[in-house]
Formats: sequence, structure tokens, C-alpha cells
Amino acid sequence: MDLTKQLEQDVFVRLKQNLDEIEKLLGNSSDVVKRDFFIMNNNTFEATLIYIDGLVDETKIEETVLAPLLNNNRDLQFLSELTKSEEIATALTKKLLLIPSINKVSTFQDVINELLAGNTVLFVDHCVQCFVLATQGWDTRGIEEPQSDTVIRGPRDGFVESIRANTALVRRRIRDPMFRLQSLQIGKRSKTDVAIAYIDGVVREGLVDEVLERLNRIKIDAILESNYIEEFIDDAPNSPFMTVQGSERPDKIAAGIYEGKVAIFVDNTPFVLLVPTHFWTFLNTSDDYYTQYWMGSFFRFIRYIAFIISLTLPSLFVMLVSFHQEMIPTPLAITIAAGREIVPLPILLEALIMELAFELMREAGLRMPKQIGQAVSIVGSLIIGQAAVEAGLVSPIMVIVVATTGIASFAIPNYFASVSIRLIRFPILIASGVLGLLGFATIFVVVLIHALSLRSFGEPYLAPVFPFSSSDQKDTLFRAPWWAKEKRPADVKDEPERESENQKPSPEK
Amino acid sequence: MKKIMICCTFLSLLFCVGLFGKEEIDDLAMVMAVGVDKAENGEIWVTAQVVRPADARGDAGVGGTEGDPIWTATGEGKTIFEAIRNLARFSSRRIYWGHNAIIVISEEVARDGIVDVIDFFTRNNELRMRTWIVVTEKKANEVVAVKTGLEVIPGRSLDRLFRYSPIVAEAPRTDVMSLSASYIGEHVHPYLAMVRLRSRGVDPENPKEFGSIPQIELSGIAVFRDDQMVGRLNPRESRGFLWFVEDVGNAIIPLSCPDEEGPVSVELRDNRFQLTPNYKNGKVSFIATVETVTDLVELGCPTELEHSEVMEDLESDVAAYIKKDIEVMLEKVQKEFKVDAIKLGRAFQAKYPQYWNDLKDDWDEIFPEIEVKVNVKVELNNPQLLENPTRKGKD
Amino acid sequence: MKSQISNAMLLAIIINIVYAKAIGVTQGIIARQAGGDMWIVTIFSTLFGLLIMSLTVLIIKRTPEKNILEQTKLLVGKWGEKLIALLMFTFFLGAYGGIMITVVYHLMDYFLPEVPTYIFVALVTIVGVYGIMKGVEVIARLAVLGVFSIIVLNILLLLGSLDYFEIESFLPVLRNGFFNAVEVTKHHNADWAMATLMVAIILPMVKQKEKWMKYSTKALILGGGFILMWPILEVGVLSPEVAGQYIVACMQMARSAEIGLFVHRYELIMVIFFAISALIQVMMCLLCASISAKHIIGGNNLNFLLIPVAVILGVFGYWVVNDHIRAMDLLTYYWPRVAMPITFAVPIIVFLLGFIFKKKLTKGNLDAPS
Repeated sequence: MDLTKQLEQDVFVRLKQNLDEIEKLLGNSSDVVKRDFFIMNNNTFEATLIYIDGLVDETKIEETVLAPLLNNNRDLQFLSELTKSEEIATALTKKLLLIPSINKVSTFQDVINELLAGNTVLFVDHCVQCFVLATQGWDTRGIEEPQSDTVIRGPRDGFVESIRANTALVRRRIRDPMFRLQSLQIGKRSKTDVAIAYIDGVVREGLVDEVLERLNRIKIDAILESNYIEEFIDDAPNSPFMTVQGSERPDKIAAGIYEGKVAIFVDNTPFVLLVPTHFWTFLNTSDDYYTQYWMGSFFRFIRYIAFIISLTLPSLFVMLVSFHQEMIPTPLAITIAAGREIVPLPILLEALIMELAFELMREAGLRMPKQIGQAVSIVGSLIIGQAAVEAGLVSPIMVIVVATTGIASFAIPNYFASVSIRLIRFPILIASGVLGLLGFATIFVVVLIHALSLRSFGEPYLAPVFPFSSSDQKDTLFRAPWWAKEKRPADVKDEPERESENQKPSPEK
Repeated sequence: MKKIMICCTFLSLLFCVGLFGKEEIDDLAMVMAVGVDKAENGEIWVTAQVVRPADARGDAGVGGTEGDPIWTATGEGKTIFEAIRNLARFSSRRIYWGHNAIIVISEEVARDGIVDVIDFFTRNNELRMRTWIVVTEKKANEVVAVKTGLEVIPGRSLDRLFRYSPIVAEAPRTDVMSLSASYIGEHVHPYLAMVRLRSRGVDPENPKEFGSIPQIELSGIAVFRDDQMVGRLNPRESRGFLWFVEDVGNAIIPLSCPDEEGPVSVELRDNRFQLTPNYKNGKVSFIATVETVTDLVELGCPTELEHSEVMEDLESDVAAYIKKDIEVMLEKVQKEFKVDAIKLGRAFQAKYPQYWNDLKDDWDEIFPEIEVKVNVKVELNNPQLLENPTRKGKD
Repeated sequence: MKSQISNAMLLAIIINIVYAKAIGVTQGIIARQAGGDMWIVTIFSTLFGLLIMSLTVLIIKRTPEKNILEQTKLLVGKWGEKLIALLMFTFFLGAYGGIMITVVYHLMDYFLPEVPTYIFVALVTIVGVYGIMKGVEVIARLAVLGVFSIIVLNILLLLGSLDYFEIESFLPVLRNGFFNAVEVTKHHNADWAMATLMVAIILPMVKQKEKWMKYSTKALILGGGFILMWPILEVGVLSPEVAGQYIVACMQMARSAEIGLFVHRYELIMVIFFAISALIQVMMCLLCASISAKHIIGGNNLNFLLIPVAVILGVFGYWVVNDHIRAMDLLTYYWPRVAMPITFAVPIIVFLLGFIFKKKLTKGNLDAPS
């Protein structure tokens, strides 16, 4: 008998048969625990609890299941009068078990699913159903401050690996009756819980259906991290740009939901996805909104500069130095020439090698344990910054250029966006080293056209700048004060007013 | 997807072919100043002052040995282009004009004609249009080779000399752009600033021989007819000339005290110049009006007068001084050079376009005869920090 | 037509398609023929452009679902359509030559004199094709960026050259005569023609037809304003004689602009900010040429025709730019003779045809419900 057929069977009436079947299905896994007992010490009611060790809260089982069922002190007269299995079932749920949530299931498919999800299954002899007791409980990481997306001011809680905890973190920020949470399972074997969250009435029309449709299309055996989902639902799978945003911060996700986006929670990962995503959000942080708006706008402005530097600085430098030397101001040109006097490598190669060295350092520092990581970066920067220049292998200006670019790319708050920008940098660098301004302009425009043609769940990726939407500019280049941002983004379905008008604080008249 | 792949392959192929014109900055001999001379056998000599980056920026992490920050070499040939090509015979790097700050032309060359200079330096895409261009009385190569100024690279000091020239206001700020504009333009003639070497620098090791090191001085104007130089103006005439072509800036006018012996200087602050053409009975005349606000910067004579009284007296002196500058210059330009370098024709054309067409062909004959009336109004009212003149306090 | 763009995007495209060529190459030619009156010529020409643009919009408004070629087909049948399409194709082929002169001479002569010409033509054409494959909407979004960069470029150039501005150069006004000025407008008219004929083709893709007139005329006035700054500066800073001396007058402008000691060369700034505008010219020209070609051949698939059309235009462009003298001769003497008749003839003929076959128009509109 193959597995599917086995799973489709109904639960047998006799306990023994059931236990044999379970053993066939789950094998002899050491973490499957079977606990045989008689209900109320009454020999007629033989029962077995099955659960998977580590996934359940054993104290809970003890207090809410075993204690009441094995307790002799109670008046059990009525039990002996019961003969029919339905009656036993009713008595168990209504009179005996103390556990808050009980389900009855009747196929092995369900039994196995529930077992593997961390619930306890109670088989009772002569009973045509079995009971699923919600005893999920495993060790999880407590809520901690997120490692990425850190803020100076703002909430410090971050998502954890449990989907329920994560949805609760968001739910706590959205006490709206229209907040919706839809669950589904993806992954033939992993059966990962996935949930989508949105506010009905704020979300753009058709977006939820679109997200659900794309999620349902996924056929895969296992989902271990939200990136699996991300790659399946991505609008531009081959693009270095990310059209789905992942975040560890519940406040960021909640803010997105308030703006009419849909969040996708995936079990076992602290990264929650948000769609649709606009490019500019990768350059924003929660801090922008939590600090005074002048500061917020200034930080944001700095990050835009960081973005431009990290994308173009090495290319511009290589282009100028190897093709268009007349464009460099004379004193600077002499300085650069002096620095390059004894450097043996052509400038493009020099730039590539330095970039490579920088990437190596970054990667090495990242994967090492924290203490060693610091040592790696110190040694690396000493070698590259000091020794290589003194040995005449690279020019000091190149070190400055690459270091500035590196720092600029770290200033981009979303690590993955910063990596993708770094990826785009290399073709531009090579093109400008080979064809000068022509190469730079060509590749840059190609990248630009590509980015302009992207869409994220129907939204233009570079909105609201291209296409230009004047009403959404209050939250793009600058962060307007909260009392000035009267409307939600233009693509939000209805009730566009975010707040009532004229709330700018002013002295009493 | 396939299309994108094809595009990418094609692009990368193009890039592989595309390593053209690639000369890195350390492969270039960056010319900072260039001089054009004429040899005795009639050939053109081009002298280039090339920067040696390692020595110009000694300690940039690479060991620059103590050496000269510049390297100067001369190439000769029948034309400018050939001479420059021949420069490459001595240069281990490609001669590169992108950072050239100044072009010095010797008077000999200028009197023969500079059309090839204009052509070469405007046709070349490396050069800036705002490269200064000057004429020197003697040899241009001496000017180019001389080590001068405060800057490490002499060419840079020449550049700065020009930028701050309005302080002295004895030479115009002539660049390739304005030269080519006035050469190409109809009925205007070019003029260039002049430089000369004067022994004014002090050798720190030998301070007794005062002024033993030659320095470059910027003063005077070379006036051209088309591309040929016809004469030069001395510094005071040049200042008169400047009123017609650009802002005089903060020039200093040295005078003597009204009553007693002693120096007085005023500094021009706010200048206005207006040239009004008149056409009556077939006769062209101009009124040149100078209005200027000046500061009293030096009053080196003991006087019992109040500032206001001194200034009243001085105002007319200043006016007379300025007027004389202009009149002497006009005399020279109109009668001696007979070249309309001061753009009288342009001014006339702007006001009387209808008569201009009749006159323009004879303008060269008309120009020397034009009567130019000069009015100068001077306002002197600012004694700077002092309330009273510096007096003897003893009696 | 599937892709829909907004009126603001139309405005951006119109500004971009004229700007790049008009500020440099065209102004050089105008300077040679009209001297100090070049700015007046530019104003006159913008007025002409306004006239033709209004006419074009009126024509398309009669059948808002159909572009000018489809409308012709409706009016006089397949062969009329093919004739007009052939005229349009010829125009865009020629215009591509002009655009290539602009792009290649800007980049090649001032930056990369040693790179072979074909690389410029090929790269630019490939980028153009790539843009078209991504659709009109993407080009339109790029055009919005193009407008921003045009504004930045104008401001920077203004800052960099205002020091050298001489108001005297403007006098006397109309020194070469009114009629000469009007005649010389033909060069700049040929630029505006690109805009009007392009509008004749892409207007049906634009949403909200009631705003067409407002936005297309607004685009003309704005674009004319952006362009007008250049002849004014070229006269005031360079002098018309110098502007006429060079093939690409605006680069000469950039070469003489500077802010202080540090920002002393503008060519790079200039090319970086103007590249997008130039590439939009390339894309729209390619797009319109291939749509015209589609109507000549009668096929349905635009992408199928795109590559051959790009190859034809690219080869023609290469032939034009390969020889500077020939390029400037073609652009100065032959191109206006080809462009002017097409510019005026196509809209006027179709407009008149519309009056003759009015019935067909109303019937056609009923057949194609919006």
C-alpha cells in the first residue's frame, strides 16, 4: 500500500489497529512518544496519547490532559453507563479534558499533519474519531532587537522564528477590525505555514487575490526561509533589483500594511515580506519617521547621496582617469597622477582588484564570529590601506575611492539592497573602464531603462518619482512632517485621508 | 529573455573591441604652460612646461625624489602642429593639452600673425576655451621656463596671476575664447594681455642682490589688426583701454596731495562705463562716460583739513587722471594703430544698424577720425577706518 | 494600441525629442545663417511648431483611437496609408541621421576621438532598441527623468556662463533681416517636425484625450523655453560668430563655462545630463520609424520589424556621421528640403482629406467604440 492511500484511510475503531497504522506511517522515530493509559482507571476505556517530543508542551499535557483523565477522586459513575463511542467523545470534550482547544479528526492524513505540527493526538478505543489537542509548544528565541534595520529611536522588538508570535507582533500594532490574516501552507513536505496580512478597505483592489494566486502557484517540497517565496513571486526574477521587501521590524511591516500593502509571514524565519515594494523604500529607515522631520529628511538625503556614490563613484573615477583627464581639476589631476606614478596596474584593473579586496574583507568579516570578524577587518584594512599603498601596488586615491564607495554602500539601510546595488556597480565600472563616457552612459541608461520597466505587483518600481506623482512627493526625497502628510499614498484603495487637516501645532490665539 | 541575452553578448563583444583611446593619467605629459617663439631660421619653436607629478606632489605615499616639479622642452617645426609633434621626440609621455593654463606668444610671432595659433588651440578638443593667452616682448620660452611665483608649478602661478589681475587692472584677462571671438567677429580686432620678465624675486640665499630672480609681470596690452600685432600699450594706457572692454575692478590711482607734497591713493570700487554713439550729418562721434565710486586708501601728507574737504579736492584729480588714461590710449589706438580694438564699431552698429551697413566697409578709414568725448564723474566719500586724517599731534 | 501613457509623460517626451538636437547642432547651423538673430529664429520656429502641433492634435482628435496612418487608411484606403507611411518613414530615417550627428559628435569629437564611429552608432541604436522593447511607457518614464536633467543642465549652464554674458551682442535685433530669420527657421522647424509627427503617431496611446491639446501645446512652450536659453547664451557668451564656427555649438558653450576654479569643465556635466534626452530622441525616432514601416509593409508584429528598421536606420546614421563634411552638408542643405515638405504636407493633406471624406470619419468612429 503506498503512502497516499494509507494517509487517506479513516481512523479505525480499535485502538490497536490505529497504533499499528501510526507506527507504519511514522516509522520508529525515536521522538514519537506513545502514552497508554486507562481513562479513570476504568479498564473498558483504553486510550493512548501520541505526540512528538520537543514540539509539545509536556507540562500542558500533564496538567490539562493526563491529570483530569487519570484522576480517581471524581465521580465517575456516568462513565460506566456510557457504551457508545459518540457518547465517550462528547463526555471527553465536554466534561473531562481541560485543554482549551480540541479538534476531532477522522483521517490519518489529518492525524499525521497535526502530530507533525506539534499537537497531541488522543486515541480512545472504540471511538471512531480521535482528538487533536492543541499542545504546541517548543523552545523559541525570545523577542530581541533585530540584527538588521537597527534604529536609534523606535521600537526594539524584532520578529522571531514563530509565525504566530510574528503575526501577534503586527496585530498589536493594528487594532483594526478590518485587519485580515489569511493562512495557507506551502511546501509538499515542509508544510510551512504562510500567512498574508492586510487591512481590508485600505489594500489596493485585486492585490490580495494576486498575492494569493502567486502563492498558490508555488509547488515546492520545502520552504525554509521567506526568500524561497520571494523568488517564486518576484516580478522580475532575473533582475538584480529586489521587487519584494523583507524586514525584521514589525513596525515597518505594520506601516506598510497601513499604506495598503500586503505582508507575507513565513514560519521559521524572522523575515517578513512586504509587497508591492518601491525602490525608494530600500533607502528609507524607520528612523526617518521616528525622528524630527528635519533630521529625518537630512538622514534620508544623506542616504540618497550614499546610493549615488555607491553606484557610480568608482566608475566615474576610472572613467575620468583613464579617458577624460581634462575634466579633472588641474590640482587634483596632478595629485592623482602623482599617486599613480609607480602603480604598475592599469586603473581599471586596480579598481577591480581593490573592489574585490574590499568584498573579500566584507565577506570574511561577516561570516567570522564577531570577535574574529573585527580582527579580520583591522588586518584587512591595514594591509590594503597602508601596506599596499606603501608598496606602490595601488594608488592612495584609489584606496580613498573604494573605501568611500564601501562606506556609502553600508549607509544603505537594507543590506540586500546594498548588495544588489554593488552588483550593478561592476558592469558600470567595467564599461566605463573600457569605453569611457560612452560605456558609462550606455550601461547606466540600460540599467535605468531596466529599472524603469520593473513592476512590483502592478506598481511601477520607481514610483512615485517615475511616473511622477506630485501628491506622493511628501515622502520621497524629503520626509514631510506628520501633520503635513494628510493623504495615504495615491495607490491606496479608499479613505485616502490619513489624518484630519490642519494639525500643525501652533500657539493658541 | 533570449533577446536580452543576445543584446548582452553583443554589448560585451563591442566592449572587447572597444579599448580605444585609453591613455591613463600617468601616461600623459600634462602641459601647464606653452610658449610660441620664432627661431632665427624662421621656424616655429614651441616650448612646453610639463608637470612632473611625482615631484609636484612629493609625499603622496610614493617616494618622489627631490627634483624639479616641471620639465620644459622645446620642439621646432615649420608650423605649430609640426613643432608640437616634434616635442614628442623628447617626451616619454604623450603631450597632453587638457590642463594647459596659459599660452605665451612672443611679440615676433604675434607681429607675423597668430592665425595658426588660434586655429590649433581651438581645433584641439583637449584644450579649454578659458586658457589664458598672452604676448611677451622677448622670448616666450624664457617666460615659460622661468621658475616663478608662489606655486609649486609655475604654470599655475601664471593662471592665478590672471585670476587676480583685476586688483592691478593693467592688463585684460584674455583667453582663447575671447581671442577667437574677436578674431572671427566682424569689425572687431583682437587684443591680448602682455607679460614680461622683471628681476624682482629675492633669492633667500643671497638677499643682498635684491631682485636677482626674474619674475613674470602682467601688464600692458598688445593690439592686433586681424591676426597681426600692431603695437602695444603701456600700463596706464592699458588701464584706459580696459574701460572699453571689461570691468576695471579695484584699480589703484596714485595721486599727490592737493596742497603739499605727499602721496595719496584712491581705490576704484564701483565702476560704470557707458559708450554712447552719435551720428549727425554723416559724422560719427562718441561720448564715453565713466562713473566711479572710489575709496581713499592712502593720505600720506600732514593736513589740517577735514576728510570731506580733502576728498572734494581729490575728486577732480582722480577724474583728470582717468580721463588722461583714456585720452592717451585713444590717441594711440586711433592715430597710431588705426585699429578698432575698443569695439566702437560694435557700439555704433547696436545703436544705428540702419547706417552701419553704409559705413561698415569704410570703418577702418572712419575710425581714426572719430571724435570721442570723455566724461568722468568721480565720487570719493569713503575714508575707510579713519574719521580724521592722520595728523601730527605735536603742535 | 496597448500601452497607455499619461499626458504629463507626453509632455516630457515632446520636450526631450526636440531638446538634444536643437540646442547644439541646429543652433550652430542657425548661427551660421542668421548670426545674432539666432534666438529670434528659435522663437519664430517654436511658434511654427505650435501651429503644426495644434493641427496634428486636431487631426488625431477626430479619430482618437487611431493614429494618423490608420486614419488615412480609413479615409482613402490602403494605398494612401502606405504613401503617407512611406513619407513618414523617410522623415524619420532622415531625422535619425540628424540625431546621430548630435549624439556621435557630442561624444566622439569632445571625448573619445579615437573610438571608431560605428561603436557609437551601434551602441546608441542598441540602447534604443532595448528601450522600445520595454515599451512606450518605460520610454515615457525615462523622459520624465530627461526633463529633470534638462532643467538641471540649463540651470548649471546658466550659472557657469552668466559671468561672461554680454548684452551688447544682441544688438542690433534682426540684423540680417526679418525674412532671412523666417527662412532660417526651417532648420529648427525640422526639429519640431520630429515632435509633431511623433505626436501624430503616438497620441492615441495617451490617456484623457480632452487634455491632449493643452499638454501638447504646453510641452511646446516649455520645450521652446528650455531650448531658447541656449541661443540666448550662445549669442551673449560665445558671440554668434563663434557659435557658428563649430559643428556642435552647445558643447562649445559648455567648454567655455566654468564655476570658479574647481568646476572648470562643463563638457562632462553637459553630456551626462543631456544623454537621456538624446537617447529618447533615438528611441522615439526608432519607434516611429518602425511603426511607419509596419504600415508600409502591412504586418502586425512591431517587434518583428524593429530589428530590421534599427539596422536600416543605424546603417544610414553611420553613413551620415562617418564623414563630418558630408554630415553637415546633408543637415544644412538637404535635410530641410526633405523635412519641410513632409512636415507641412502630411498634417495638411490628412486634415483636408478629413474634410472631404467626413462621412467616413464619423462611420469609423462608430466602428471603433472606445
